[in-house]
Order: sequence, then C-alpha cells, then structure tokens
Amino acid sequence: MQFKDYYQTLGVGREATAEEIKKAFRKLARKYHPDVSKEADAELRMKEVNEAHAVLSDPEKRAAYDQLGAHYRPGQEFRPPPDWDAGFEFSGGGFRPGEAADFSDFFSELFGRMGARDAGFRPGGQGFRGAGEDHHAKVLLDIEDAFRGATRQISLRVPQVDAQGRAHLATRTLNVRIPKGVREGQVIRLAGQGAPGLGGGAAGDLLLEVRFRPHERLRAEGRDLHLALPVAPWEAALGAVVAVELPDGAVKVRIPEGAQSGRQLRVRGKGLPGDPPGDLLLDLRVVLPPADTPRARELYETMARELAFDARRA
Amino acid sequence: MPEREDDILLGSLMEETWLTLDQVAAACPVEPAWLLAHIESGLFPHAESVAGVWRFSGPALQRARRMRQLERDFDAVPELAALVADLLEEMDELRVRLRCAGLE
Repeated sequence: MQFKDYYQTLGVGREATAEEIKKAFRKLARKYHPDVSKEADAELRMKEVNEAHAVLSDPEKRAAYDQLGAHYRPGQEFRPPPDWDAGFEFSGGGFRPGEAADFSDFFSELFGRMGARDAGFRPGGQGFRGAGEDHHAKVLLDIEDAFRGATRQISLRVPQVDAQGRAHLATRTLNVRIPKGVREGQVIRLAGQGAPGLGGGAAGDLLLEVRFRPHERLRAEGRDLHLALPVAPWEAALGAVVAVELPDGAVKVRIPEGAQSGRQLRVRGKGLPGDPPGDLLLDLRVVLPPADTPRARELYETMARELAFDARRA
Repeated sequence: MPEREDDILLGSLMEETWLTLDQVAAACPVEPAWLLAHIESGLFPHAESVAGVWRFSGPALQRARRMRQLERDFDAVPELAALVADLLEEMDELRVRLRCAGLE
C-alpha cells in the first residue's frame, strides 16, 4: 500500500488552516464535480479530493494523519504500525460510512474503524438479534438488456471486520440475472445479499439501482422508447411504410401522408417490454438527398420551377 | 471457468413505489430526518405521500445524493442545493435529447 499525501491532493501546505482547507476543497469540488466537469478523470479525482477532505477537515483524523505521516513521501510503501491510532477517536467528519466505502485502501487501513462501528448492523428484533443492513450499488445496462434480460457480474467493495476489530474493504463478486423489462432508475432487489444479520438475525438485501448506458439512437423514458426516425422527402410527402430496427427485431411503421420534421408518431406496445409494455415514440426527421449529380440537380430544379412552394410561408 | 447456473442470483424488480423513506435514506446515504425535512420544505419533488406514507421513484436516489453533496461540499442552503439539482436534472434530460438527435 502506498502513502497518500492528502495535503498535496488538495494543493495546500501542511500548515494550512481549516478555512484554507475548506476553500481549496470547494475549488476542487467545483472543478471535478462529475455532473459538469470536462476533465476525463473527474470522478476519480473527486473521490481523491473527498477522501483528502474527509481526513483534513476532521481535527482528530488530521492530527492522527499528521503524526503518522510526518516521515512519509507520496507513493512511498506504507504500513501503519500496530495500535498507531491509540488515543484517537474518529468521528464521521461529515462523511457517512457508505460514502467512506468509496475511499482508498489507504484510508480504510487508517480509519477503517469508523466504518466498522457505524456500518455494520441496524437495531431490530429482541436481545442481540439484528437484521443486516441493506447494501446498495449501481448497475450499468444497455437498453437492449431491457428487451432480453441479462446476466451481469457485479463487484462490490464491502467493509469486513477482522479478528482485531479493524475494518477492511473486501471485494465481493456476484453474478446477477437482470430480468427482462427493467427500466432506468428501477431498483433490483437481491434478497439476503446485503450485510449479515447479528445473532441469527436475517441478512439485509442488496439493492441494485439500474442505469442505462447512453445509446446512439434510443432513449428510454420509463417504459416508452424514443427514436429519431430519418425519412426521405417523398416518404414524408406521399406517405410510406418503413422498417424500424429495434433491439428485438424490426417493426413496420406507416408514415402518414404530409408528415413533417418534428412530428412524433406513437406505436403502441413497441417500447420496453412490461405489463403493459411501453410505446415507441418516433420523432420524424426529413433528410434531404444531396444535389450532387446532374440528375439530382435536375429533379430539384424541376421542383423549384413547378411547385408553388415558399418554405418561409409554409 | 464456465459459469454455473446455480451461481447466478435472480434479481426481482421493485416497482418504483416500493422505495421507502428509510431505503432512500440508507442508499444515498442521508439521515431519514434530513430527507423528511427536505420533502416537507417542498425541495424533493420525487416523493409522494400515500395514506401518510412517503414513497419514492427511482430518480429520488440521485436527487438525494446530489442535494446532500451540494450542501456538504459547498455549505449550500437547501433551497440553493435544490435549485442546482433542478438544473442538473434538466441538463441530464437535454444531453440525452442532444445525443439521440445526433447533435452531441
């Protein structure tokens, strides 16, 4: 395990005041905010910044870190001596155990007790019996998976307590079958796959929050499926039957005569599967053929001459 | 090693209305009291009350995480965090539309 220089992560000196640490953290939190940052590794950097802030903004953790890390350089091989943290009592520092589970092994090695004390069990039942906590994770799926179902391997980092009572992050891998008909934002429950119960109490559940990867053509809204459908000018003007490719096969759709760009067609029951299934919503986009041959130019010129059409007045 | 059929866990789909206040709070993670206070202040549109019990749609998880992070990271007052969360949600939707229209 390598030593992490939290001061370097935040870009402050070791003598920085609490106010300077807060200011540096906010500046970086804005820079690497995953919703707006243009940086390629924004999510990873934000985790590092959060971790550094969790330690340096908490006086107890900062004092312990300073005492331990005075003689280490960033990247240097690091192993904390036994009972190094005697005399310190760590609190959450604004971060709940679930968030701290995202932090590095270095953090877990130093401050793992915080997770062990808070993250294990929730009260319930009688005596020492207690139901295990529910665990949560996100799972990324393709829209196609909603049509067919899918099996995904999911790796979770979960706190585990060793014989000395210290918490470490362990990796747990599960193979999960995702049922057909899943929607974005929906939660998949895996009964009994959360934290173990205390004193014979029932284990918690694992709750998987579904996200869809961005798709080139398709967009899901609940069970409805949106698709931009390019059509030729004559298909739009005269009406036509066109084939639309969907993840579970092609469907034929009738384009009504006189259709225009921006018009939306609804095909009932052809969205994501379910009971009832969603609808397919086609956003028509008229695409012009290029006038790149003499014949194509001639056809456009004929239309220009013979059709009494003014696009600005249509 | 080939995957054995009995190694595969079967997930059950929870309806959107299945998420309770405690489940959303634990998943985000936030205190249930924090979540309740934000709902009662009208800052959490992804919750609805049925017979006095709060229930949540899937996007509630992301909404709660965003608001909690904004409040914690920037000491934002809840109303400001809610405003930023509203804008981020709108931005998400517009980005998806742009991508599907081939404009991003």
